[in-house]
Amino acid sequence: MESTTRNYTTRKEFFKQYKKKSRMQEIWRMFCKNKLAVLGLILFIIIVAVAVAAPLIADYNQEALKINVPQRLKAPNSEHILGTDEMGRDIFARIVHGARISLVVGLSSVALALFIGGAFGAIAGFFGGKTDNFIMRAMDVFLCLPDVLLALAIVAAFGTNLVNMTIAIGLSFTPKFSRVVRSAVMTVRGIEYVEAARAIGSTNTHIITNHILINCIGPIIVQVTLYVASAILTISALSFIGLGIQAPIPEWGNMLASGRAYMRDHAYIVMAPGLAIFVTILALNLLGDGLRDALDPRLKQ
Amino acid sequence: MDIKKVNEDGNTLEIRNLVIHYISDDETVKAVNGVDIIIRSGKTLGLVGETGAGKTTTALSILNLVPEPQGKIISGEVLLEGKSVFEMTEHELQDMRGDKVAMIFQDPMTSLNPVLTVGDQIAESLEIHRKLNKDEAMKQAKEMLEMVGIPAERAYEYPYQFSGGMKQRVVIAIALACSPDLLIADEPTTALDVTIQAQVLNLINELKQKYHMSMLMITHDLGIVAEVCDEVSVIYGGRIVEHGTLEDIFDNMRHPYTKGLFGALPDIEVRRSELKPIKGLMPDPTNLPPGCSFHPRCDYAMEVCSKVAPENRWLDDTHCVECHLYKDTNESRL
Repeated sequence: MESTTRNYTTRKEFFKQYKKKSRMQEIWRMFCKNKLAVLGLILFIIIVAVAVAAPLIADYNQEALKINVPQRLKAPNSEHILGTDEMGRDIFARIVHGARISLVVGLSSVALALFIGGAFGAIAGFFGGKTDNFIMRAMDVFLCLPDVLLALAIVAAFGTNLVNMTIAIGLSFTPKFSRVVRSAVMTVRGIEYVEAARAIGSTNTHIITNHILINCIGPIIVQVTLYVASAILTISALSFIGLGIQAPIPEWGNMLASGRAYMRDHAYIVMAPGLAIFVTILALNLLGDGLRDALDPRLKQ
Repeated sequence: MDIKKVNEDGNTLEIRNLVIHYISDDETVKAVNGVDIIIRSGKTLGLVGETGAGKTTTALSILNLVPEPQGKIISGEVLLEGKSVFEMTEHELQDMRGDKVAMIFQDPMTSLNPVLTVGDQIAESLEIHRKLNKDEAMKQAKEMLEMVGIPAERAYEYPYQFSGGMKQRVVIAIALACSPDLLIADEPTTALDVTIQAQVLNLINELKQKYHMSMLMITHDLGIVAEVCDEVSVIYGGRIVEHGTLEDIFDNMRHPYTKGLFGALPDIEVRRSELKPIKGLMPDPTNLPPGCSFHPRCDYAMEVCSKVAPENRWLDDTHCVECHLYKDTNESRL
């Protein structure tokens, strides 16, 4: 410790390297060290790019929607790289366009759930006592309904469109996020630095956002990535029972559902959307793990 | 303890007859049982006692941060420059904390937020109290770091990149950022090793003079008291049993417990002398003994000690003691 103050000029130069690195650069450097996380990020970027560029890759009306009976149930070949489905539509085109719905609904419903559930969970965990009891018992009521059932009820009541589906899935995930955030907040709120923050005059809001939530970011990010995956599955489940994305519109879930009847002889029909879901979820999970490690300076070596 | 010079001008802190209990379903922990403390402007008071004597609870009450809902302030008041902290609104409390009164916490390992840079953490109280924007606050935070002997460049590092002694310097920089009138140091050197202790104490002494702060130094180390404090209060079982200037306590101690504390210190000059630990343990704060709470461990205990709680008595202008031995005499009876 003495030496840090003594060799001042040389030390000063030594510390310049720290000064130049901003927090974002530091996080990025940590993230890049984790090869699997980088793989997850690359996969995720590819999926997002494909979803964004879908109209350039395949024509929506001609290839993804138009029924072409003579071409039905063709195995993958040079013209249809993933084959065609029972209506003769190109599976690759349908997967590419389906990615848009899955990603938009998956991400925005989780964002909604995180925002509402996170706020309630943070308040419940921080204040404890009666506030906690009141909020969490209310959340328990929602939690005892299965997600699909709750989402189904909302969609059935308000009609099936993308916005309603997003809200339905978002609300059904809300209690889960409030639980996760609450428990993370409770482990942090008793630590001395929270008391120290209070002792320098921070307000409760400031303590929650700047001291507590920032220390809970790890478990929250992991939950987000898991639930985006789970939301994509819920959309598929809703589509499967006919209350999600309606039949001609390509969506990974309803592609699985309609391909199910031909699975024995034409396995590629369900394999392609199944793999799409699998790869997306894998990418999100790898990305989430990597982000969690990179955001936590305690894990730096 | 009853303090003679109440309402004297220039008192930074007055605590009067403070009683704090921690109440849970099946027991009541009597942490503080009638503590009186006065700190005059610019002076340092040492609060000395064993673990569990109520030192930290007393300190937290000054900031009105006694943990709720278990901690209950039964009676008494804490006055900061004449204003009662228990009557302040939440807003006034936030303005007071960190600006007028700052606290150095015991363990620098846990009192820094691990995911914020040390610069951000020092800047935080400047942003709150001086209404500075981020850049100005950061600039001042760096000056604070330099002042506690850490190169300003390290403001962008995280607590895990610092050693224990440097973390404690950072904690001190946070506490001093808004140059408070009163600094509460809750065993600031307990978690540090001896060489670093000396550095931190020197630093505290220097800064105290520079800013003309009052200070409450909580410790169980009499060496620290001798080095830093002007006055000493010895706390036992949640009560101040002896109070006086440094000379009163170190050279003319009266209370058997104070004597016991010194007896438990090794003497560097008489190397053959044996340590005399105080027999027994701190009383269970859920079940304090009747009468004087020190009597089961006291070598001078009389019959009356187990029945009647002793009253506080001033021996002279600066020295007071709470013990049955001094009912009618000022002479030492130890």
